[in-house]
Amino acid sequence: MHVDYLKELKQNNAGRAGLITLVLILFLVLIGPVLSTHSPTEHSVATLEPPSAVHWLGTNDVGQDVLSRLLAGARTSLLVAAGTAFLSVSLGAMVGIISALAGGITDRILMRFTDAILTIPAVVVIIMIAAYIRPGVFNLIIILSALGWPVGARVIRAQALTLKERLHIYAARSFGGGMLQILFHHMIPDLTPVLCVSFIQGARRAVFMEAGLAFVGVVDPNLISWGVMLRHALEYCYLDAYKWWLLPTGFALSVTILAFTLLGYCLEELTDPRLRRWDNA
Amino acid sequence: MLEIRDLKVSYGDHTILDGIDLSIKAGDKLAVIGESGVGKTTLALSIAGLTQGKMQGEIIFNGRNLLQASETELNALRWNRFSLVLQNVQNVLNPVVPVVQQVAEPMVEHRLMKKKRARVKAAGILMQMGLGTTRHDSYPHQLSGGERQRVMIAMALANDPELIILDEPTASLDALTRKEILRLLQEIGKRRALLVITHDISTAAKLCDTVAVLYGGKVVEKGPAPRVLGSPRHPYTRGLLRSYPNMNTVKDLQGIKGRAEKPSKGCCFHPRCTQAVELCREIHPDFSGEGEHILACHRGGIVPFLQIKDLTVRYGKIIAVDGVNIRVYEGETLALVGESGSGKSSLALTVMGLTKTTSGEIYLDGQRVKNREKSFYRRVQMIFQNPAESISHRHTVLQAVREPLDVQNQGCDGARKEKVRRALEEAQLPSDDNFLAQYPHHLSGGENQRVAIARALVLEPSLIVADEPTSALDASVQAKILKLLLDLQQKRGLGILFITHDIALARKVSDRMVVMLGGRVVEEGLTEILVARPRHPYTRALLKAAPDLDFARRDSEGESVEAKPLSRPGLNISGVGGCPFVSRCEWAVSQCMREKPSLLAVDRGRVACHRARDLGETVAKLKESAAL
Repeated sequence: MHVDYLKELKQNNAGRAGLITLVLILFLVLIGPVLSTHSPTEHSVATLEPPSAVHWLGTNDVGQDVLSRLLAGARTSLLVAAGTAFLSVSLGAMVGIISALAGGITDRILMRFTDAILTIPAVVVIIMIAAYIRPGVFNLIIILSALGWPVGARVIRAQALTLKERLHIYAARSFGGGMLQILFHHMIPDLTPVLCVSFIQGARRAVFMEAGLAFVGVVDPNLISWGVMLRHALEYCYLDAYKWWLLPTGFALSVTILAFTLLGYCLEELTDPRLRRWDNA
Repeated sequence: MLEIRDLKVSYGDHTILDGIDLSIKAGDKLAVIGESGVGKTTLALSIAGLTQGKMQGEIIFNGRNLLQASETELNALRWNRFSLVLQNVQNVLNPVVPVVQQVAEPMVEHRLMKKKRARVKAAGILMQMGLGTTRHDSYPHQLSGGERQRVMIAMALANDPELIILDEPTASLDALTRKEILRLLQEIGKRRALLVITHDISTAAKLCDTVAVLYGGKVVEKGPAPRVLGSPRHPYTRGLLRSYPNMNTVKDLQGIKGRAEKPSKGCCFHPRCTQAVELCREIHPDFSGEGEHILACHRGGIVPFLQIKDLTVRYGKIIAVDGVNIRVYEGETLALVGESGSGKSSLALTVMGLTKTTSGEIYLDGQRVKNREKSFYRRVQMIFQNPAESISHRHTVLQAVREPLDVQNQGCDGARKEKVRRALEEAQLPSDDNFLAQYPHHLSGGENQRVAIARALVLEPSLIVADEPTSALDASVQAKILKLLLDLQQKRGLGILFITHDIALARKVSDRMVVMLGGRVVEEGLTEILVARPRHPYTRALLKAAPDLDFARRDSEGESVEAKPLSRPGLNISGVGGCPFVSRCEWAVSQCMREKPSLLAVDRGRVACHRARDLGETVAKLKESAAL
C-alpha cells in the first residue's frame, strides 16, 4: 500500500488551505504576464491612482500598475523561496547525515564548522553582503542558503543520530544491509518529516528575508519585489493612495507565508504515520 | 567371545543389516539401541541363526563361525552357550504347557538332566526370578506380562549360558515391573555377558557399559554408555535422546525429522540429518573417533556451529562482556540466562557485528568471522527484543519481511513475495494481501513479534540469535512461537542462541544453559543438570526466583541457604577484582573478594565459584537431613 500524500493532503483542512493558497499563488504567477494588461515596469502619467477598470489595484508614484508589480513580486518571492529552501535543505541534509553516520572526527569537524556559521548573526551579514553586491534572484538564493543551512544540518544530524540507534536500523544491518540500503530505506524515509519541515521553514524564511532585504533597500534596484513595493508605498503614507498600494502587498506577503506554514504543519503530520488519523482510511 | 564382522543380512532385495562390526568379550554388557525398523531384532535373530534372510560376513562365537555352522552345531550352542530372550513374550511361550515345564525344557532337551531334576531346578530359577511356586504350574495366558517376562528370562538362564541376548526386555512393562526386571537382569549380568537390544535408552543405560547406536542397518555411534548417552556426538543419537521421555530432560520432546528410509547411497542417516553436506550424500562414512567412543559421521559428529572465544566487549570503561567462551552446536538451543545488565544483549549484538568487539574471536561453522559479509547474515539472523522498534514504522508487513530478501537479492519479485507468505505462515500469521499491507502500529505486540520472527526466518538461517524473543508475548502465544522454533530446529537443524532472563522458559527450550553475571560466564552445563543441581549461588538464586505453580509455598519459605535476600543488585565495577556476585553472596569468603573465580569442570558442566564444592556438599547434606 502506498500512501497517496496528495489525496491525504487534500483531506486535511490546514493542508488543503495551504495547498490551495499556494497553488493559487503559483497559478497567478504563471499566468501573471497574460493576465496583466500592463507591464510591471512601464511608467505612465497616471500616478497614484485608486483602483479602476484600467488599473485594478491602482498605480504607484511613477504610474506603474500595482497588480502587475504584485504578480511579478510573487514570482520573485516564490523563486527565492524554492531555490533557497532546496539548496539549504540539501546542504543541511548532506552535512547532517554524513556527520551522524560517519561520527568521530568527521562529525566533530563538520559540526564545529556548522556551529561557526550558526554564530554569525545572519541578518547583519546578509545585509552587509547584500548592500555590497546588490543581489538579484540568483545571488539572493546563494546568500540566503549559505547562511541558512546550519539550522537544518543540526536538526537533521540530531534526528539521524537517534535514528542510527533505532532497533530497525540495527535489524536492517543484521540482514547484511549496507550504508546505502540503510540510508535510502530507513534513514531518508524517517527523515522526511524533518526534511519537509526544514524545506517549508526555509522557504518561509526566504520569503521573509527577501522581502526584508528589499524593504531595507539592499537588493538589486531593478528587482521587482514585495519588499521594494512596501518600502515605496510607505514613503507615500501621508497620501491616501498608500492603502491601495501598501495593503495588497502586505496581504500578499502574509498569505504566502501563512500558506507555507499551514502546508508545513500538515506535511509533518502526514509523513509520520503515527501522527496520521486513520479513521478515514 | 562373540565377534561380529561385516554382517550383512537381507530379505530379497531388502538389506536389513549392512556391515555390522561388534564384539562382546566375556562379561561385557553391550546395548544396541535404535528406532524400530533399524534392524535390531534381525541382529539378535541372526546371531541365534534364526533369520530366514540371506546372511554374509562372520559371526564368530568362541572361535566358531556361526554362519557356517550346521543346524546341529547351532542347537548345541543355543541355550547352552548363549540364549535368547525374545520380544513379544505373548507368542513365544507355548500356550498349552505350564511355565515351569517350559523352563525345564532346555535342560531336558539338551540332555543335561532328567526331567524330574530339571523341573526342580526350573522351579528354583523361577523362584530366583521372583515367581512364586503358586504360579509355576500356570499356563502363559494366566500370567501377567511381567511374569511372562520373568519366565522367559528364567528359560534363558536354565542352561547357564555365557551370553544372553535380550530383545526389548522391558518393552510394554509397567514402570514398577520394569524396574524389578531391570534389577533381576543387573543381577544376572554380574556373571554373564549381555547383549541388550532395545529402544529404551534408560534400560540400555542401566544394564550396559557399552552402547552401540544402530541406524539403517549400520552402527553409527558406539562407546561407553555414559559418554554416548551423556554427550552424544552423532545427530541420530541426539535425536533419540531428545525424543525419549524421562525424568531428567526438561526440554520439550523433539523427534527426528522424516521417516526411516534407506537411501541408495551415502550416509544412511543423511536424508534425516540436519547437518548433511554433499559428501554425506555420496559415501557412507567410516568409523572415526578417539579411544572407545567412535562414530560414523563425515562431519565428526554434531558440529559446533558458532564458537565464541575469549570475547570481550568494552564500552569505554564499562566491561559489558568479559572473556566469554561459548559454543552453540548445530541444531541445539543454548540458553543464555542472567539478570538484566549481565551482558547477554551485548553478546548478541557482538555476534551479529552490531557492536564492536574489543577482543576475542568468533567462528562460524569452523571459520573465523572477521568482516561480516552478506553471506554471514544469510546463515545467522537475529530476533530483537523489542518487536515494534525493530520494524520500521514506515514499512508494511510485506516490506518489512521482504527486506532481508531484498538486501540479499534473493529471487525475483514474485518468489520473494511467496517466501514472505510462507515465512508468515510459519510464524502463525495470516498471509493474505490485507495483512501484508498492514503497518506495525496496526498490529498487536504479539503480531509484531511474530512478524519480526518471520523476518528472521525468511532467509532460512542456520542460527538464530534470539534476544528475549517472546518477552512481549502472552504465555499462550509464547508457547506457540517457541514450539515453532523447536519445530524448525527439528526440521532444519536450526541452532538457537536463546537469550532470556526467564530461567523457567529457558529450561523448556534449551539443551544447554549458560548463566552470565557481570559479563562473565559463571556457570554452564546441560540444562537438566544445571536446573536440578545448580552449583553457583547466583544460579540458585535465579532458580529460586523463577515462577512456579507451587501455590502452597510462599517466597519467604524455603531452604535456609537462601535466607539472605538479594539486595544491592548489579554491583559490578570494572577493574575491581573478585567474584561479580560477592556483594550479594552469603557464601562469600575473603578469597571471593580478592580473586576472580575461573571456570572449573564440574558435573558435566563448568562453574566459576570458589565455594562450589562446599556449597554442593552442604546442599546435599541439607537435602539428606530434610529427607530424614
